[in-house]
Amino acid sequence: MGKIDKWNDRVWNFFASVDLAVALFIIISIGAAIGTVIPQSIEPEPVIKFFSKFMSISSAHKAYEIVSLFDLNNLYHSWWFTFLLFMFALNLIVCSIDRLPSLLKSFKTSPKPYPLEILEKMPIKSTIEINNDKILEKVKEVFKKKGFLIHLFETKDGVQIQARKRSKTRLAVYLTHLSILIILAGALIGIFFGFRGSMNIVEGTGLNFAISDEGKAIPLGFEVRCDKFEVEYYENSGVPKAYRSYLKIIENGQPVKENIVIEVNHPFTYKGITFYQASYGFQPTEHAEFRFTYFDKKGKEHNISAHFEEKFKIPETSVNAFVIDFSPALGVDEAGRLFNMSTDMINPAVLVVFEEKGKQTQQWILSKIPETWETPYGRLRFNELWGAQFTGLQVRQDPGVPLIYIGSILMCVGLFICLFLRPLNYFVIVSKNKITFYSPTSKGMIEKQIDEIIKETKGDKA
Amino acid sequence: MSYQIISIAGLLYIIAMPIYIVYMLTKNKKLGFAATGMIFSGALIHIYGFIQRFKEMYSINHSFMRSIPITNLYESLVFFVLCIVLGYLFIEWKYKNKTFGVFVSIIAGITIGITDLLGITKEVQPLVPALKSNWLLAHVTLSFIAYAAFAISFITALIHIIMGTENKKSFKYIFSTSALGFMFFMFVSVILDVVTSSNPKSVKIFHSTLGNPSIGISLFSWLALFGTIFLFWGLSNRIIKIFENFKITPQFLEDVTYKAIAFGFPIFTIGGLVFGAIWADQAWGRYWGWDPKETWSLITWFVYAFYLHAKFIKGWKGTKTSMIAVIGFLVTMFTYLGVNLFLSGLHSYGSM
Ligand code: HEM
Repeated sequence: MGKIDKWNDRVWNFFASVDLAVALFIIISIGAAIGTVIPQSIEPEPVIKFFSKFMSISSAHKAYEIVSLFDLNNLYHSWWFTFLLFMFALNLIVCSIDRLPSLLKSFKTSPKPYPLEILEKMPIKSTIEINNDKILEKVKEVFKKKGFLIHLFETKDGVQIQARKRSKTRLAVYLTHLSILIILAGALIGIFFGFRGSMNIVEGTGLNFAISDEGKAIPLGFEVRCDKFEVEYYENSGVPKAYRSYLKIIENGQPVKENIVIEVNHPFTYKGITFYQASYGFQPTEHAEFRFTYFDKKGKEHNISAHFEEKFKIPETSVNAFVIDFSPALGVDEAGRLFNMSTDMINPAVLVVFEEKGKQTQQWILSKIPETWETPYGRLRFNELWGAQFTGLQVRQDPGVPLIYIGSILMCVGLFICLFLRPLNYFVIVSKNKITFYSPTSKGMIEKQIDEIIKETKGDKA
Repeated sequence: MSYQIISIAGLLYIIAMPIYIVYMLTKNKKLGFAATGMIFSGALIHIYGFIQRFKEMYSINHSFMRSIPITNLYESLVFFVLCIVLGYLFIEWKYKNKTFGVFVSIIAGITIGITDLLGITKEVQPLVPALKSNWLLAHVTLSFIAYAAFAISFITALIHIIMGTENKKSFKYIFSTSALGFMFFMFVSVILDVVTSSNPKSVKIFHSTLGNPSIGISLFSWLALFGTIFLFWGLSNRIIKIFENFKITPQFLEDVTYKAIAFGFPIFTIGGLVFGAIWADQAWGRYWGWDPKETWSLITWFVYAFYLHAKFIKGWKGTKTSMIAVIGFLVTMFTYLGVNLFLSGLHSYGSM
């Protein structure tokens, strides 16, 4: 029985010790750092490629075996890293349970005078010789003016004054530690009750499932349609200014939400599932269509759309036209030649063939260069190739996020209180011809305040 | 252009360094004023350059919040230096003590010099969509304020170790004097690199010294480096005397180190970790993804948490805790620069 108690005590003390905390700080840091060097990839190739920079191919394969044995290529989700984080949390909990009650008790119990030996051991001590009957009152007054709570005791060495201020702020440490636990709890909830995935939706189509990071399909319970995707560029450059998807939610065949616009940094949430603009890409499809605007002689605008090589009529003329080539980013070089700058739709262009009475002419029309819209048959603006791009969305459901936010706020509040509003404790012994100041707070932090108090005490005398 | 104005500020910081040294050797009050004046006018010009750059960005982005110039590596380094210098001027004014000026001007000079050497683009660039977030702005600004606070704790911690260690053969002592010697050498080398470079884009750091194509110069530079380190190690008694002359005590240094960390730690927690997480959450739908930059921020945070716990709960005293502060800043710098140079990740400063 006694033996078990002893073991219980040992285990408890092990988890309540700050030594463990300090050790965990170091071990977790080193572990996390390793993960930033070794490629984090389930596929073997990147890891082997990484090691073959430093060693022969065969050793690199051996290195990979060691790496995968310890999950170093999936370190942050490995059993041992999870175990370390678990230890960290346990350490925090046990340590708080171990210490909090005695701290709370110390607020309730009425203070007792400290023996002189203990005071003498305090790191800060400052003595002044003074001979004045009223000095006790003056010291008390100075402390009171500074907002301290004062207790007086008659001791054999003189009157002991205990002055405290902000002693309750010691609780803030526990708030900080609690906030870490809340954040960890939020993360766990996210892992067990949430999901992450992505979906690539081609313009003009919809999907009702997302693909998880592991490649599994996750049904959403509704369909997300992409009406349109566009990239806006800074003027005269290929630097993107904004990515934008125009979405629609369809549930049971009925559109329930329309005209949704999402951009990077501006996600959208439906039924707890949030959609983020993440990427985009080029994917020509059957239904892709070229969209034009034709300005007739009276200045009226006609919208035209046509598929690749599909003939369309130029309104109010007898001219037929069709598209035979497309370029996503046509540029003009110094010699006036056309060339393709990029696979992004920076300046989409089409090569249009015009047919009039059996005679064919062709012309490039660049959507961003108005001069090229002028054709022998009138002004024809090329607007876009619709249905040839997909929008890449990140999809997430994470019921743990509110806890993460709450934990973060509490941590900030806790840290500020704990580091900027430290409790102040002074012990003063006033005897016949001298007063001595003591403080348990470590050296260098409080001496100035003591000097100030001393100065004020003296100042009062003058 | 704004970067030319900022270069002038950098020049003033560099000139301040020798003035501070002569001031410390002679205790001549006028020189002290001149040194402070140099750094102070550097800071004013720096702020003016910052505002000019703000205007240049505003003319592209047309948004007040999106035009604060801290969106690429160059701008962030410049902002980092500004924070250090302003933080230092505050300390100089508060403690009426000019002795850290040397080190601050060394760090400022090296950093501004590096922006010239690494071929970092100094042009104002339009913002890519991911960077258009007010959280990002708060995240970056506060992170650099915290980094600057850590830089100051690094300086005081180094001097503290040198002053507070009896045993000249101990690792702590050799490490700190070497670090100081190396910083001093790097300062001179960076200036030489900048002065001798004809085309900044093609010049590498230490080109004019350690990495010089001429073996003679390179060899001489290595000797000079070791000589400098040895000098700092051997002359440290003198250096300590100088500090004592200025009423710098180990307790004072420990106190300033602690205060800088106690200021930087919560700011870093809010700005570096929390706001960064919120931004990532809104941009990509994940508040934490173990991206190298995030991971190293967490490591940085752990190191300073280690400092606080060692100091307050385990009762570590003196140079032992200062050693943690020194390591903390080295880790901070790795988080800031090393991750971009050696590891890859999401952060935009990666492109240099
Ligand atoms: C990275 C996570 C942690 C952070 C940010 C943190 C933060 C803090 C801070 C700021 C203090 C106050 C120090 C001061 O007096 O100024 C503190 C105190 C303390 N911490 Fe932590 N801490 C962390 C993890 C831990 C862990 C894992 C333990 C486990 C034992 C722990 C145990 C303690 C104890 C016992 C105190 C002293 C409380 C008291 O004064 O009664 N901390 N912590």
